[in-house]
Amino acid sequence: MGTPAPASKLTAQVQQTIFRYGLAFGSVAAATALGLLAYRWDLEESVLMFFVLAVALTSWYGGLWPAIVAFTVGFLVFDYCFTRPYYSLVFGREDVAYLPVFALISGLLIWFGTVRRRVERELQASRDQFEMRVVERTAELQEEVAERRRVEEILRERASLLDLTHDTVFVRDMNNTITYWNRGAGELYGWTNEEAVGQISHHLMRTIFPEPLDEINAELLRTDRWQGELIHAKRDGTRLVVASRWSLQRDDSGNPIAILETNNNITERKQAEEALRRSRDELEVKVKERTAQLSKMNEELQLVNKELEAFAYSVSHDLRAPVRHISGFTELLQKHTEPVLDDRSRHHISMILDSANRMGNLVDDLLAFSRIGRAQTQTTTIHLDKLIKSVVAEVGPDTEGRKIVWRIGNLPVCHGDPAMLRLMFGNLVSNAVKFSRTRDKSEIEISSMNHASDEVVVFVKDNGVGFDTKYKDKLFGVFQRLHSQEAFEGTGIGLATVQRIVHRHGGRVWAEGSVSNGATFYVALPKPREVKQ
Amino acid sequence: MNDLKRILLVEDDPKDVELTLTGLAEYNLANEVVVVGDGEEALDYLYRRGRHQTRHNGNPAVMLLDLKLPKLNGFEVLQQVRSDENLKMIPVVVLTSSNEERDLVRSYKLGVNAYVTKPVDFHEFVNAVKELGVFWAVINEPPPGSVKKR
Repeated sequence: MGTPAPASKLTAQVQQTIFRYGLAFGSVAAATALGLLAYRWDLEESVLMFFVLAVALTSWYGGLWPAIVAFTVGFLVFDYCFTRPYYSLVFGREDVAYLPVFALISGLLIWFGTVRRRVERELQASRDQFEMRVVERTAELQEEVAERRRVEEILRERASLLDLTHDTVFVRDMNNTITYWNRGAGELYGWTNEEAVGQISHHLMRTIFPEPLDEINAELLRTDRWQGELIHAKRDGTRLVVASRWSLQRDDSGNPIAILETNNNITERKQAEEALRRSRDELEVKVKERTAQLSKMNEELQLVNKELEAFAYSVSHDLRAPVRHISGFTELLQKHTEPVLDDRSRHHISMILDSANRMGNLVDDLLAFSRIGRAQTQTTTIHLDKLIKSVVAEVGPDTEGRKIVWRIGNLPVCHGDPAMLRLMFGNLVSNAVKFSRTRDKSEIEISSMNHASDEVVVFVKDNGVGFDTKYKDKLFGVFQRLHSQEAFEGTGIGLATVQRIVHRHGGRVWAEGSVSNGATFYVALPKPREVKQ
Repeated sequence: MNDLKRILLVEDDPKDVELTLTGLAEYNLANEVVVVGDGEEALDYLYRRGRHQTRHNGNPAVMLLDLKLPKLNGFEVLQQVRSDENLKMIPVVVLTSSNEERDLVRSYKLGVNAYVTKPVDFHEFVNAVKELGVFWAVINEPPPGSVKKR
């Protein structure tokens, strides 16, 4: 298949050779013909010019060797035909000067032609080379373009995937010009892809950075990523708070080329946080105010408490004295006037004594009652069985001549202030003794109940006169009495004292009973934590 | 006021003085009592100053001391007595209306020998005073330098 080409190439070369030498002979022949004509018209001076022209022509178009042939043949013809002696190759003396001139001019022309051709050849060669390189480069470029198209296609496909996400994703180059803008970004910020791409992202969204942008960029370049909270403006001017993550993209040689920014709208969360913080602040302010109020109240209370204490102290000293004097001097009066007074007067004196004694008891009970509120409690372990035993022993004198059946069950250990608990059980037991004295046989039971795990329940039960349950609430009030002074003496402070002591111990007290069927008083005291397992 | 008596009663309330003396009279101890009306006078008596400058030398066998007193109160008197080398051994009984625990504690801390709350009931009161007088002025052997029993 390749054979015809060299054949035709060879033929072309031969043809060219024939043309070149043909040109040599032809131009010399033409110069000879023109010389003969010129000679005929006595223009022999221009003959040499024709031969020079023939050599020049051949040299220009035919090359070196045809030019040498043209010169040689032309020289011979010129010598033969146009120098004297004519038609002889001998150089005549007259025209001998033409021959070196012709030779000189021809040599110059041939040299010039050779140089020209060589330059032309070199030019041609370099042009060929250049063209070849152009072709090569073009091919390369076409390949690159194709590659780029392919990459772009891949990127488009990936970008369309990014469009599927609801996250806000965009890409910007190192000059912060947006080059990619996903659908999520469009939805969040309000600019379309066409509007956003090509814009400077920070200007478009009027970004407010949490730290100087230089520092952010430095971190990005150092670690290839950055994340933080930014404040952006939407197209309509609304401000957004976004959680922003930046990732740096680098090319194969490690130069940063683009930044992928993914933003999540956390405005609502921030607003909620802000609201939470505000309400917490408000709460703190309120707490402070309330604390201040409380501490003020506390101070006032302490003041009141101090006053109360001073009052009680003064009562203790000063109120008892006159009562004692009334009682003392009335007794002396009674003693000295006994023989001379009538029954009525004696009765009056005994009434005075009775009242004075009641007054004394009231003062003492009230003082004891107020002391419960004021005193510091000292909590220790108390063995209730021992305590009840000594309380029962104490009421002994009041039970003289009476038939009393004591039933004392198992009593637990409890925790509390010993003096107060003693006073409390003393009150309950002496009440039981007092209100059962109308019975032929008094029965008093003191025991504990199957109590809950967190409290100790002790009850004092009697078979006395009992009480009407509709007055249950009045039982524990100060100065509240359900019986006349005549039937059962008393100050009406005993059960109030009991309740106050129980409350100071964090416990409960209640009563059950009915008229003439006895009464039961229950006391529940909390167990301390270390005892509870 | 040259009397030298076994009982020093420091009491500002004349009614209480009267009742106390009534109680002591039952054991014929009323004549053994010197009564002073305030804390300052109590110290004057003990130090033989002012009104009591001329009294004979010697300390009472017992001092019955009220707490609420004009000028110097019972605690101040007690404190002074207990800090004086010549007086510190005098038996002191607090005899007061108050049964406040803090008074009780403070008295004992200051070195009182006994603390008696005046009972409201006359009989109890008289009994209490009587027993006090008998114990401290008759039964008890007072420290050296005290007025002797007759």
